[in-house]
Amino acid sequence: MDASIQQQLIADLLVESFEGLDRYDHELLQIESGTAGADSLNVIFRVIHTIKGTAGCLGLSHIQRVAHTGENLLDLLRSGGISASPEMISALLKLSDALRSMLRSLEVSGSEGDADHSPLISLLDRLQEPLGAVEPLVPAPVTAPASSPVQPQAAEPAPATSASAPDAGFGFFDDEPASVPGPETLFTAPVPAPKSFPEPAAPSASPGAGAGAPAASVASGAPPSENAGRSNAEDSAIRVDVAHLDRLMNLVGELVLARNQILQKAGVVQDPTLLSTAQRLNVITTELQEGVMKTRMQPIGNVWTRFPRIVRDVSAELGKKVRLYMEGRETELDRTIIEAIKDPLIHIVRNAIDHGIESPERRAASGKPEEGALVLRAYHEGGQVIIEIADDGAGINAEKVRARALRDGRITAEQAARMPDREAFHLVFLPGLSTAEKITNVSGRGVGMDVVKTNIERIGGSIELLSELGSGTTLRIKIPLTLAIIPALIVTSGGERFAIPQVSLVELVRIDTAGEGRGIESLYGAPVYRLRERLLPLAMLDRELGIVPAEAATPGSEAGSNLIVLQADGRQFGLVVDEINDTQEIVVKPLSKIFRSLTCYAGATIMGDGRVALILDVLGLAQRASVLSDATTQAAAIDPARAASVLANREKLLLIEAGGGSRLAIPLSSVDRLEEFERSRFEWSGGRQVIQYRGGILPLVPLNRLVPNLPEPAESTDHAQVVVHSSGGRSVGILVGQVSDIVEEEGSERAAGDGSGLLGSTVIQGRVVDLFDPTGLHLSSL
Amino acid sequence: MPKTIMTVDDALTMRKVISFTLKGAGFDVIEAQDGVAALGVLKGRAVDAIISDVNMPNMDGLELTRQLRQLPAFARTPIILLTTESDPEIKNRGRAAGATGWIVKPFQPEQLLAVMSRVLPA
Amino acid sequence: MSETRQLCTFTLGDFFFGIDVLKVQEIIRHQEMTRVPLAPEAIRGLINLRGQIVTALDLRSRLGLPPRSASLPPTNVVIHTPDGPVSLLVDEIGDVVEVDAAGLTRAPDTVRGAAHQVITGVFRLKERLLILLDTSKVVELPEPVPAS
Repeated sequence: MDASIQQQLIADLLVESFEGLDRYDHELLQIESGTAGADSLNVIFRVIHTIKGTAGCLGLSHIQRVAHTGENLLDLLRSGGISASPEMISALLKLSDALRSMLRSLEVSGSEGDADHSPLISLLDRLQEPLGAVEPLVPAPVTAPASSPVQPQAAEPAPATSASAPDAGFGFFDDEPASVPGPETLFTAPVPAPKSFPEPAAPSASPGAGAGAPAASVASGAPPSENAGRSNAEDSAIRVDVAHLDRLMNLVGELVLARNQILQKAGVVQDPTLLSTAQRLNVITTELQEGVMKTRMQPIGNVWTRFPRIVRDVSAELGKKVRLYMEGRETELDRTIIEAIKDPLIHIVRNAIDHGIESPERRAASGKPEEGALVLRAYHEGGQVIIEIADDGAGINAEKVRARALRDGRITAEQAARMPDREAFHLVFLPGLSTAEKITNVSGRGVGMDVVKTNIERIGGSIELLSELGSGTTLRIKIPLTLAIIPALIVTSGGERFAIPQVSLVELVRIDTAGEGRGIESLYGAPVYRLRERLLPLAMLDRELGIVPAEAATPGSEAGSNLIVLQADGRQFGLVVDEINDTQEIVVKPLSKIFRSLTCYAGATIMGDGRVALILDVLGLAQRASVLSDATTQAAAIDPARAASVLANREKLLLIEAGGGSRLAIPLSSVDRLEEFERSRFEWSGGRQVIQYRGGILPLVPLNRLVPNLPEPAESTDHAQVVVHSSGGRSVGILVGQVSDIVEEEGSERAAGDGSGLLGSTVIQGRVVDLFDPTGLHLSSL
Repeated sequence: MPKTIMTVDDALTMRKVISFTLKGAGFDVIEAQDGVAALGVLKGRAVDAIISDVNMPNMDGLELTRQLRQLPAFARTPIILLTTESDPEIKNRGRAAGATGWIVKPFQPEQLLAVMSRVLPA
Repeated sequence: MSETRQLCTFTLGDFFFGIDVLKVQEIIRHQEMTRVPLAPEAIRGLINLRGQIVTALDLRSRLGLPPRSASLPPTNVVIHTPDGPVSLLVDEIGDVVEVDAAGLTRAPDTVRGAAHQVITGVFRLKERLLILLDTSKVVELPEPVPAS
């Protein structure tokens, strides 16, 4: 066969076999735990059968040989010839390890490797002995045929029966005598004796028992007939080349752009037919976009199939008892994200068993069941996927973490003293900080959790840690559904447009030097901004990117600039831009490899006007501007406790004095912008109050029309504070009275809402505050 | 006109191995991942020969053979089963189902082509 | 009969260049570009080619030639590369010419610096020299030194 075809086929074999072996392990462990389905053994058998057959055709004789031995044992299991013992399960797991290591060697070096698998082969052979003939003292099987798998050619009696081609490996039924028993008896004879036994109870039956057609159907009749005509979700799936999906995704991206252009045009032209057609196009495009994105989705269960095995191995290694529970395995994620979270998840799971779950003795001593519980849970929440890894182990000792961080000079004694536990937990994400008392093979080398966190954040996710000493730890990972289309803030600097992924966005601040003099200040030569008693290190986008010379503007002279508070690597910094345009869903396209050294860009996108805009990589940009590194003075000015609390990702709320002593809080996530308008600019159109805003018309709605029992907002001042909220392509300005603060929800339970715009109430700064979320409002009806 | 052969196997790589071998010898090849998929395709078109794996999910190669033999269009079409040396009784069942012949997996490309030249003489 | 090669030709100032016609995806008139701050100097920006983002490389800059006058909008020669299409900005497009493959000779030693590495050789045509560019070398830029 052509070498390049051979190579491609081997690449296919690798993908198919790795996938198959994950499934194999999964089903095998289900058999071990007694939760296997009726088809489990067939699935397992088919995986090995396929690997053997394909490897053989591709000349991979080692893999073929090892798989063959396993196939023989599995065939016996499948036909009910023997039943699975724990020893057998272990041996079969070793088989998948051996196959994986050969496949990996094939992947890396192009050869199957020269590892000696003969102990495994003889173990698998030995296990085929029916009468529990597994005494270790008898390594060599007593029956001659059992050694035959080592030389598969010798064990291939079937071809010999072909009248037309004695050693050809194929044959034709019409070449053979019509009487069935003759040749069949011939080729059943050399097969290892136990193979033809329908029951383990009939070990002495002669091979001839399986010879006649009726008897043979008893031996292996069940599985195929059970299979016939059955269908399930997995089997109705097809394989599609990923490149194909990427291309479709690109086309949909272009369609989205064309749609945006037409929508823009339709809004200007005022032709009712065009408008309704454009809206129809809008709906169809959105659905198509969702549909195509769905094809890139995979259930997270695809990654989880490996976990039962990992949990089993790691807990065995550490002498712990762990039961794994998995919920929501059908939860779907973009395949690139699945790929990216695979390793972090494995690390977290290992960590949970190593550091979280206690030894059976310790558990028993503290009144817990000896068997620890590890829960993997995945579910959707608000356009994100949440993955939780929870254990009922010892929990994290906040005191120890604080002490360790203090000893390492990561925090000051004063910070340690006033750092709440839940913030202290997040110190474990600091590089090099491990509180493991003894270093084990499994984890605890002090590398890991920081890498896990970086990897999660790289794909736009966040990670949160909750723990209670003595009761357990939960890691909660939030990740976006897809990487291909993301919401982004569009900004302008130095005449160029840039897109900033919204996931990094904390808040937008308008720096008004004319105000109370709270402009950009300079701290040891580095620009900072005082934001709510906190010094925020700043980066000027135009200067960082060299769009204007670095010396062009001196800190403090940026009268009336826009500050974007961004979060990267768990820390915040401010990015100063000339203009903040709007937020958009953008289609992320990769940049050419030529730009690989420019870490401040995450890709590019095509805007509604057809021009290209660069997408900023917030972490790369922050590193370039040195606003995150410990060496800079400004980072020292950031309170690490504060940074830790940002990590926890508690919801930020905009606090509003609604008049008459009423306070209301709006989740910052549903606030697009906060504006202050001169009331003289308000106009009336079509019976409602509007204002010309950013090239369009923004309808204005007083808050008391949306929330019952609020007083009329006072119009005593010339200026009105307006919360701009957008959803579904529409925006509305909510007249809110006075914005008093931005706070973090203090974690107290929210009381339920009453179904209006009110979400319920919560306690902020010791007072009960109603939570109002405009997200659910029908903007078109306002 | 080149002859068309359908290959039925749930293992993608195996389908490709067969497909490459046959295409290299000048055949047209269509693929199906199991018996149900194969039947679906074959209800709409004819092929000159079928090479099918025996052990597949949904519908195995034996059931596929049985069902095809009941269709007038496929009463005589060569059907070759891919089997393994450890499955001697499968051959009995293959014969009973109406298959034309068998090939033992793993096989060499020459073996596959030898079978094809026998069932599809030029 | 000797083997011939078809070359897509273009000019940069007074020089006459050719690249293998099979490497050329398409030729398009000047496009609006988005510049990429901090990128190597030869990279002029990104263009939207029917929804695909294509990097535009100024061949003058790449070959160390003086910049093109602003009144002369460049033309995009979009070529295939393993990393996707790349647009080469040239002055003016010429005809596709057929040359005798055996006529390729070494570039004169007077060609130095950046240009030397990306030139496969020259063909001596009747009226002028045709310089053959190696497109795979053209798109291989030295790692940019980030401004601190």
